[in-house]
Amino acid sequence: MSKKNDLITRRDFVKGAGCAALGMAIGLPVLAQEVVPELTKSRVVLVRDKGAVASNGKINGEVIQRMLDQAVMALLEKKDPVDCWKALIKPDDVVGIKSNEWRHLPTTTQVEQAIKKRVMDAGVPEKNISIDDRGVLRNPIFQKATALINARPMRTHAWSGVGSLIKNYIMFDPNPPNYHDNACAPLGKLWELPIVKGKTRLNVLVLLTPLFYGVGPHHFDKTYTWVYGGLAIGTDPVAVDSVGLRLFQAKRKEYFGRERPIKPAAHHIAFADTRYHLGASDPSKIDLVKLGWEEGVLI
Amino acid sequence: MATEAARAVPNEILGWKVTDTVETYDRESIFDYINGAGEVYRSYGFRDVTVWRFSKPDAPEITVEIFDMGSPEDAYGVFSYTRESEESGIGGGYEQRGSVLCFWQNRYYVCLAAYESTDDVRQAVTMLARSIAQQLPQSDGIPPLIGLLPQEGLIEHTQRFFHIHASLNYHYFLAEQNILRLSESTNAVLGVYESGTTYLLCVEYPSAQEAEEAYGSFVENYLPEAAGTGVAMVDVGKWVSATKPGRYVIIALDAVSRESATELTDAMKSSLLDANLVTEGDQ
Repeated sequence: MSKKNDLITRRDFVKGAGCAALGMAIGLPVLAQEVVPELTKSRVVLVRDKGAVASNGKINGEVIQRMLDQAVMALLEKKDPVDCWKALIKPDDVVGIKSNEWRHLPTTTQVEQAIKKRVMDAGVPEKNISIDDRGVLRNPIFQKATALINARPMRTHAWSGVGSLIKNYIMFDPNPPNYHDNACAPLGKLWELPIVKGKTRLNVLVLLTPLFYGVGPHHFDKTYTWVYGGLAIGTDPVAVDSVGLRLFQAKRKEYFGRERPIKPAAHHIAFADTRYHLGASDPSKIDLVKLGWEEGVLI
Repeated sequence: MATEAARAVPNEILGWKVTDTVETYDRESIFDYINGAGEVYRSYGFRDVTVWRFSKPDAPEITVEIFDMGSPEDAYGVFSYTRESEESGIGGGYEQRGSVLCFWQNRYYVCLAAYESTDDVRQAVTMLARSIAQQLPQSDGIPPLIGLLPQEGLIEHTQRFFHIHASLNYHYFLAEQNILRLSESTNAVLGVYESGTTYLLCVEYPSAQEAEEAYGSFVENYLPEAAGTGVAMVDVGKWVSATKPGRYVIIALDAVSRESATELTDAMKSSLLDANLVTEGDQ
């Protein structure tokens, strides 16, 4: 008897020193044959500010705006944030800002409004901009959108490992459970849906108070959040998620005092790279630019 | 939601009063409440969940969720899914981490949670949990297979009970494809042994023929070099042993030696024999 070629088992994974760093980080090595050999580096800008989250937990909108501006300028290597947004968005674009409304850890109004302001500064009239999460399929702006901005917090998730930028587009499919197999491995396929394909101009991973550990299958406990005061942005959602995942592993190691792989492995991020070719998950193919508050940056 | 569960929820605890907002979600609408994590509950016999909210001025809201899991075995199963510790005294067992307390009792899995963990919140959550547990039907029902896992070397609180392939991969990624042919009609238990790197899996199939087919699929796809023996080294210092008595498939994964792998599978088989679930003649 011999193993069928299309089967992927634990034994197929690359082990030891040759394993791609991301695979190790997520607790599930990357398959050698799925590593894309040639990829231009994806830039991810991580900006942090100690003043983004006040001691009472309130988010400072002015600081968020400044962080977003710093990040897009570093991403696009321009000196004016509005010029950056004009490079990303055209005045005749119809823009959907895909948010996340999870009640315990939403994208936050401050981040949503900072993005919306700059989209308007790029010349898009307010009537052609909408912010939505669960209602995107019924939202006329999203239905005719020519550009999307994807913004959500990262958090641990009992079925997909982490709630990620890649996963944030699940509401664009009328049947989200279609993507739940194998710990949500097919999530990258979402980005091939006509309603989103090729439309995403910027991804904003909100890392202000991330949830790095979950209690029970779906519960939130503030004990396992921390004030990181960060935003990670990029045009490549896989690269930004990959950076977020590294941050989570580092935080879990710091908090628990030992390696504590995320369960289940957030392998939808690696699969989005190797199977769906959505972007780069391998840290060696990511150009990480760090700005601002350095203390406790962890990565 | 059964009225017995609704009756179990008190109106007030330590100044927190139940609000009029009571929501119920079934197998289809669960995603409206907890997004994709609803799959964890759907991987068991989950029927519905009802959610109550308790409020108190200047204090965090406390949420009470009572999941009807369809059977005590599945209530235990979902409790075991992410359990890292377990205490007795509330329901069939409970776990409290931060401001979240979850317990199982009879066919119910109950979770109480607050946004923040203060002394007052923890006290209210604990009292509320005890009050609910006292009102729910008292019988428990730990899946019999859990009790049959060999005790020697078993790491505390690592026992899991589940049915489907996705759940196995959550606890131990075996294969992307369902090579063990797990389904809603299979009962599986998993325990972690020794230094935390050896797993023992036992699956109960509806029939001996289905167990035979699943075993064949496993050996063919995961352990081809072990055809005929059921034992092989899959990596340096990692041994796998598999056997198939009657309706059961038993697999020791990532044991440190051939001997420790076969000792584990033999011990599980002995447990099944002692419980009269298999006979000496079962192969």
